[in-house]
Amino acid sequence: MSNDELETKYVATLDAFVSKPDEGLLLDAYELGRTALIQGLGVLEIASLHSRALATLLSRSATDHDRSRLMESQTNFFVEVLCPFEMTHRGFRDANGVLRRLNELLESQAKRIAFTLHDEASQLLAAVHISLAEATHDLPPEMVARFEMVKDLMSQIEDRLRSLSHELSPPVLLELGLCPALEVLADGVSKRWGFPVTVTSSLNAEIPPTVQTSLYRITQEALTNVAKHAGASRAEVEIRQTTHKLVCSVRDDGIGFDSNPISNDTQTGLGLMEIRERVAALGGVLRLQSHQNQGTDLTVEIPLEN
Amino acid sequence: MTDSDVAENRRSEVLPAVASPKAIDSPYPADEFRVQIESLEDIVIARQQARHLASKLGFSKCNLTLIATAISEIARNAVEYANGGEVVITAISSGNRRGVKIVVSDRGPGIADIPSVMRDGYSTVNRLGIGLPGTRRLMDEFEVSSESGEGTTVTMKKWAS
Repeated sequence: MSNDELETKYVATLDAFVSKPDEGLLLDAYELGRTALIQGLGVLEIASLHSRALATLLSRSATDHDRSRLMESQTNFFVEVLCPFEMTHRGFRDANGVLRRLNELLESQAKRIAFTLHDEASQLLAAVHISLAEATHDLPPEMVARFEMVKDLMSQIEDRLRSLSHELSPPVLLELGLCPALEVLADGVSKRWGFPVTVTSSLNAEIPPTVQTSLYRITQEALTNVAKHAGASRAEVEIRQTTHKLVCSVRDDGIGFDSNPISNDTQTGLGLMEIRERVAALGGVLRLQSHQNQGTDLTVEIPLEN
Repeated sequence: MTDSDVAENRRSEVLPAVASPKAIDSPYPADEFRVQIESLEDIVIARQQARHLASKLGFSKCNLTLIATAISEIARNAVEYANGGEVVITAISSGNRRGVKIVVSDRGPGIADIPSVMRDGYSTVNRLGIGLPGTRRLMDEFEVSSESGEGTTVTMKKWAS
């Protein structure tokens, strides 16, 4: 059914319902809403379709009596039309809840893996260090020198494990909170990729742990995108709070882009998709502004519950 | 609209006010309506009966619409995939709560894999959040049972308070 056909049928069905309300026409109303939904119409579109239909019928109504009957009946009709959208809306709410729980689950798994990597693996490595020291104690110096190489390699493994563990679950986030954790993150990115990253923050209220973790991950993902794809000479992270929301921006002065990065580059796309999902799970908004050679501004707004 | 109006206006499959087996342990007189479903017209009758019964039980207007919607969504499957079936609408109670139970059954091919048809991404309709998973969200209780080749039964309940 084309949108015009849908509209014509809508007006005719509503008209029939107003003249003689019955269950059959309510079912038709429901089916019209269902068809509209399947055809991709949004709630706003169906609402304006309804109000246009209403206007048409109002203009045809001759008497006050007709008009008041129209106004009485149209509510029942419209509720029926909206019912499929209500189902979809409930589905969206459910999915959001699932997403949120999944996020929490993943975070707790990451925490556990990080703990195992950091604490257990480094204890084992420490034990190897001690055994090595004992074993080399009585060896001639030229042999000891060869074992030094092994020790070096082991220290490198320890460093890698530690940084991996911190990336999985930054202990500083748990211990000190979001802003210090972002500073540590910025510092790490800056050292690893060789461009300065500044952090400015003004937060005054307690932020729920899930929001903290999400904002940390979003910033991490955004900075990784900047480092890998933007060719930027500097980046800045800004986080501030208004009465009802948290606003976090990651800006760079890199190459930017003109079109939608999600469709262009799978790697950046995946990172952005992750950010989008995290923001959606918290009921927030993601804004991405960029132009060729003019850098990129990624801003997320997360509503704060009172 | 009374039951006799319905019987006059519509076809004769409606068997109003048959005593329910639940009546024994229910403090309220229980109503039951059985509607054979073969076409959209029969779905109209089932919706009408459910609305009528549910409004007597004190459901809000919005909830009456949700109940009618649940019937449409499930009964349309019986019409589309199983050459029809039956809708049984019953007043139920539990403690102080009163509610309505709707059982839609058919003798169609059955559903081989119920968990997958209950998933939101299973079909176009499911992806939009309507169909079986969408209907589950409108009702308080929702159960699908099916035997391959023996048909499908969907049991749904909604409580008025």
